[in-house]
Amino acid sequence: MSAEERVPLLEVQGLSLAFGGVRCLDGLDLTVGEGEVVSVIGPNGAGKTTLFNVITGVYPPEAGEILFEGKSLLGLDPHQIARRGIARTFQTLRLFLNMTVKENVMAAAYGHTRAGVLRSVLRTPGMRREEREIEQLAEERLAFFGDRLVGYRWRQPAYSLSYANRRRLEIARATAAKPRLLLLDEPAAGMNPVETHEMTELIGRLREEGGYTILVIEHDMHVVEGISDRVVALDHGIKIAEGTFGEVATDPRVVEAYLGTSAATERK
Amino acid sequence: MSLSEGPEQPRIGVDEWVASAEERRARSPLARAQDAIERVPAAVKLVALVVPFAVFPLFVNSQYLMQVGIDTVIFVLLALGLNVAVGWVGLLDLGYVAFFGIGAYLYAAVASEYAGRYWDAAIAIPVIAVAVAVSGFLVGLPSRRLVGDYLAIVTLFFLQLWLVVLINASWSRGPNGISDIYPLQFFGRQVTSLDAYFYVALIAFVVIVSFLYLLNQSRTGRAWRALREDELAAELMTMPVNRLKLMGFAVGAGIAGVAGAIYAPVQGAVFPANFDLVLLITLYAMVVLGGAGSLVGVTVGAVLINGVLEALNDADNASWIFYGVVAIALLALLKPWWQPIAVLVATVVLGFAVHEIAEQVRPSLVGGVTLGDSRLDRLADSWVLLPENVLTGDGVPTGWLGRLAYIGLVAAILGLTLVRSHLWRLVALVPVLYLAACVWANVLVAQPAVARFVLIGAMLVALMAYRPEGLFGKQRVEIV
Repeated sequence: MSAEERVPLLEVQGLSLAFGGVRCLDGLDLTVGEGEVVSVIGPNGAGKTTLFNVITGVYPPEAGEILFEGKSLLGLDPHQIARRGIARTFQTLRLFLNMTVKENVMAAAYGHTRAGVLRSVLRTPGMRREEREIEQLAEERLAFFGDRLVGYRWRQPAYSLSYANRRRLEIARATAAKPRLLLLDEPAAGMNPVETHEMTELIGRLREEGGYTILVIEHDMHVVEGISDRVVALDHGIKIAEGTFGEVATDPRVVEAYLGTSAATERK
Repeated sequence: MSLSEGPEQPRIGVDEWVASAEERRARSPLARAQDAIERVPAAVKLVALVVPFAVFPLFVNSQYLMQVGIDTVIFVLLALGLNVAVGWVGLLDLGYVAFFGIGAYLYAAVASEYAGRYWDAAIAIPVIAVAVAVSGFLVGLPSRRLVGDYLAIVTLFFLQLWLVVLINASWSRGPNGISDIYPLQFFGRQVTSLDAYFYVALIAFVVIVSFLYLLNQSRTGRAWRALREDELAAELMTMPVNRLKLMGFAVGAGIAGVAGAIYAPVQGAVFPANFDLVLLITLYAMVVLGGAGSLVGVTVGAVLINGVLEALNDADNASWIFYGVVAIALLALLKPWWQPIAVLVATVVLGFAVHEIAEQVRPSLVGGVTLGDSRLDRLADSWVLLPENVLTGDGVPTGWLGRLAYIGLVAAILGLTLVRSHLWRLVALVPVLYLAACVWANVLVAQPAVARFVLIGAMLVALMAYRPEGLFGKQRVEIV
């Protein structure tokens, strides 16, 4: 199945952004189809995280268009974009460290819940029902990771979690926002081989069971190979290759971007 | 298949060690007490907070103490409101006192001879709460994108602007204030006694603290805590950060407005000078001492600080508080336990020795009497260096030694912070403490206006060193 046959969920056209003289993104085109898992790879500083930041509205692009479900995201605040159905995780973890594990996930349900100040204070039946639903949602999202984030962990502060568990909690939090598109920024970074392997399975399960479309930045090529329908390689803000993992991994421009010119020449 | 499942396999990646770090961490008695308090149901806590207040008038039959009680509850209300912006949303709001002023002046505008109106309090208080909340919203509007220091500067500017307008405008009668404010009137019945005012304030406290508790346990409270932790992450997790900040601002302002609407009729008059920076600093001290973010903590902090401030007005109590604060600060800051005791004993011995020597060499050095009249002060008379008092017209002693010692004390404390070796610092602490006692007996005890803030400052410094999160606050952890 190729991307063209599906409905594009996310369409990025000619995206450009520069900080001072540094061009982070330069006329980037990218399409992510419904239900796809697309990996973005590239050396450090290639513009991968910047791409995520522009899609989620953290930075406004200088040029280009971002369409989500066919509608433009330009000019929207980040929380509005998140409510449209794009949730992300962060390369450098950004949990609500001093809140409990469960509260971290419950907080992300803000966008699709309604109770205002008055209803909260009066504890109307509707508000109580909503609160129960948020709690159930959080428990269910945390149960996705087996027994790692359930039971007594619910009440623990997020800072007490191990590094790998904090990465998992970030994913749980992102899914609690009920997104259609999940942006995962290096989900396996800093994990040991066993945990990395698990993360590969997990991303597969997120698509199969959760029904999310996933755009993922990853450096670990085993993970990229294991999860991707399609791989996009970036360098200096430009797309240098796109295709299946096999195609991209052997592309001389990708090899050059990672290893330098002479290595690429030798491989030829 | 998950690699870590199955009881017979090693549970790789299941990090119980990390997860149990919380339990293993050595906990201070205060932290354990706090855990115990946290497990208590909210309703029980509310009753525990309210009962001491509710029985207060039964044991008090002095008008002065009732007035102190009312002031204390109003301070609690103000601290609770400030806690919303500072403790929950994490905004450094230095204009907060202005909302208290707006509330008080609004009451003067709807119920005073000057305004020619007399609204029933059952209407006036809710209307004022909403109006002041709206004004908070409007002040927040231009500053909603500002964070940290910048927000502090803009809000401080707003407070100054408010004060300048109050002092110069004709409708507020300038610095003379509005002094013919009618008492509160509920459904046609006037509140006249101080006891009744106290209960009105207490009911406002119960309503507001319940309101805040329920709000904190809702999606809004969660969002506030989340954005205080990480604004960007909160925004990207569907929370409209700017709107939430404005809401926090408005809720805090509304509570200050209610406090103002009770304060104005209690005083019967409002003046611009009631809403100055000193009040703001006192409120911050209450929130910080009690523990920003904790409703119980902020309440206790406000009661403690207002209690101490009032007690300090009386020279007899003041010395007890001074020596008490010094002893508690030493016990809290010096570990292990024998060190503070050694320092205290050494200070006492040094004092008597110096006193004895001075008496032999130059009796006039110790001929004075402290202004305080408690047993502690009499004891101090034979312990500190106290030259014969030369009283000025208003009864303030003008001892040259006291002034010299005051300057010396500041220099000595600065010098103390430069001493590296722990042992030498302990040794140096002894004469510094004695010097402080001399300064206290000579100068400060006679000047409560200065002494109260010096002491509150010392309390805060000691507490911040021992427990930066405040008495009931939660320790915040940052992962580097």
